[in-house]
Amino acid sequence: MSTTRKRVYGYLAEFKSASALYKAAEKVRDAGFRKWDCHSPYPIHGLDGAMGMKRSILPWLVFFGGATGTLTAFLLAYSTQVLIYPTVVQAKPVNIFTIPAFFPVMFELTILFSGFTVLFGLLALMKLPRLNHPLFASKQFHRTTDDAFFIAIEARDPKFSPDATKSLLEEIGGSNIELVEEEG
Amino acid sequence: MASHIVTSADVAPDGERLKSAKVDKIKMIAGGVSLLLSIVSAILLFGPKETWTANYAYSWVFALFFFFTLAVGGCFWTLLHNVSNSGWGTSVRRVFENLGAVYPWMFIFAIPLLIPNVQQYLYEWMNMHRGLDTHGGEYSVKEALHHTGDPHDHLLYLKHWYLNIPFWYGRFIFYFIGLSAVILGLRKLSVAQDTDPNPGTSRLFRARFHSTYTLIIFAITITFAGFDWLKGLDYTWFSTMWGVYLFAGSALNSMAVIIITVALLQRAGYMKKVVTPEHFHIKGKLLLAFTIFWAYVTFSQYFLIWYANITEETKYFLIRNTGGWNIGMMALVVFHFVVPFVILLQAWLKRNPKTLSLMAVYTLVMHILDHYLIAIPERSISLMNMLPDVYGDVETTIPGAFLGDILAFITIGSGFVFFYLRSLGQNNLYPNRDPRILESANVSN
Repeated sequence: MSTTRKRVYGYLAEFKSASALYKAAEKVRDAGFRKWDCHSPYPIHGLDGAMGMKRSILPWLVFFGGATGTLTAFLLAYSTQVLIYPTVVQAKPVNIFTIPAFFPVMFELTILFSGFTVLFGLLALMKLPRLNHPLFASKQFHRTTDDAFFIAIEARDPKFSPDATKSLLEEIGGSNIELVEEEG
Repeated sequence: MASHIVTSADVAPDGERLKSAKVDKIKMIAGGVSLLLSIVSAILLFGPKETWTANYAYSWVFALFFFFTLAVGGCFWTLLHNVSNSGWGTSVRRVFENLGAVYPWMFIFAIPLLIPNVQQYLYEWMNMHRGLDTHGGEYSVKEALHHTGDPHDHLLYLKHWYLNIPFWYGRFIFYFIGLSAVILGLRKLSVAQDTDPNPGTSRLFRARFHSTYTLIIFAITITFAGFDWLKGLDYTWFSTMWGVYLFAGSALNSMAVIIITVALLQRAGYMKKVVTPEHFHIKGKLLLAFTIFWAYVTFSQYFLIWYANITEETKYFLIRNTGGWNIGMMALVVFHFVVPFVILLQAWLKRNPKTLSLMAVYTLVMHILDHYLIAIPERSISLMNMLPDVYGDVETTIPGAFLGDILAFITIGSGFVFFYLRSLGQNNLYPNRDPRILESANVSN
């Protein structure tokens, strides 16, 4: 038996099916919680709506990432091929009308920069990579990769209260409700 | 975001039909206008003045092919929906089919191209074939091409297997019989489901099976009709991208027509239960995808020709980069690709029928510019070569011929509207007994 005081992560509640999880998520959303999440073995269509999640800002990051790529490629090609060292190929003009020759490069760098922004933007928004997650302390949580559906409400949420949140989870059909404490 | 699940109780057992006095009125006005202007067009095409016929022949090809691409695109989306076993679009599939059903009627507007009096101003190679000295029938056309003494005619000799008049007529007939049979057959199969007391899945699977090989008929039609009617305007020009280029515009703009149609139908109170913002979102994505595809193909064609710099290929772009045409060509880059690409990236816009319809209208306007630049710049240069006495002092454009382009566009356009509204009113607006109608109504993406 440990005597150290542990920090409470939050409540974890299991739900029977994807549709039970979906309906419970709508109720947690309507109860006004912000710091909470659903865990399911597979993606559930429309769950983001049931959880009341806002659209990610990732598309905007990607747009500006891609635009940076376009601009970088254009400046790179234009400055080297037109301004610094004019390169005449097959008597083609060496001015802004050479731009068709730059399009493939502009296209490629747009894709490359967009791809990088997607990858690194996504990792940053998801706060990944990380070595551990408090929920791993739960003995039942590993079943989320197999056959169990969970809702976890964090203690950081301003609406969280040890009794009321627990009874809310019971009310909306949660079972095996567990108060998860961080390890160590 | 399925807030309300559509069940079979929401779908009318006998479907919805387009019944509106307003639509009937628009249809009759469009039909009347088309009929009236067709008479005017006939006078221009077959009338007394040579310059009328010559100028207006090009106007006609431009307008004909513009609306041809829209109708062909309707066939394409029907075929693609069937062959890809799609569930999302069952609610709007009938609109695809009804747009495709306009295709057979395009034959009426294509008739002028069959008549030598019109052909002589459009297709120079036909004039050369017809004017050959065959020594009283001793030589065949091919042999006669070999013996004209003009080295330029060697190209026609080599192309004779494809570019000869009987084969041209044969292909022309095939385009209309082939794809008409395909789309009318699929539409009949789909409509028969609406009243069947035991609908089942057999028609769905039959439509899927028959859409596979008929997709080839579609591909042949759009490619070779484009070769025969548009690329044939200059028989010396080569481009292997041509068919794909026309297909990209066709798929893009028929989707624009479908979006506008569904948005207007919903506004008038139809298809309320089965079409949701999700459907507009998917169609908007397709609009965006084909905007990109069009740009990709169009630029590839330009880029390869520009880079290789081969005389046989550059001619097309030389004509279109001369004088005022150059502004149009550069406008295509910005306004047919960059602007709609950036605007259509936004998700909220694609989910809103009103904003998406505005973008669809914009896309169609750009399609007019695109097809105007395909057909019309050829007019002054070809007529100048063919009739130097009449058109000798013409530069890049023929003064006044622009009015003919508008007239031809309105003539065929109002006919298109008439036949489209007619086919929309002939059957239920959505396949109400299709096994996938609920899957489609509840689609989320």
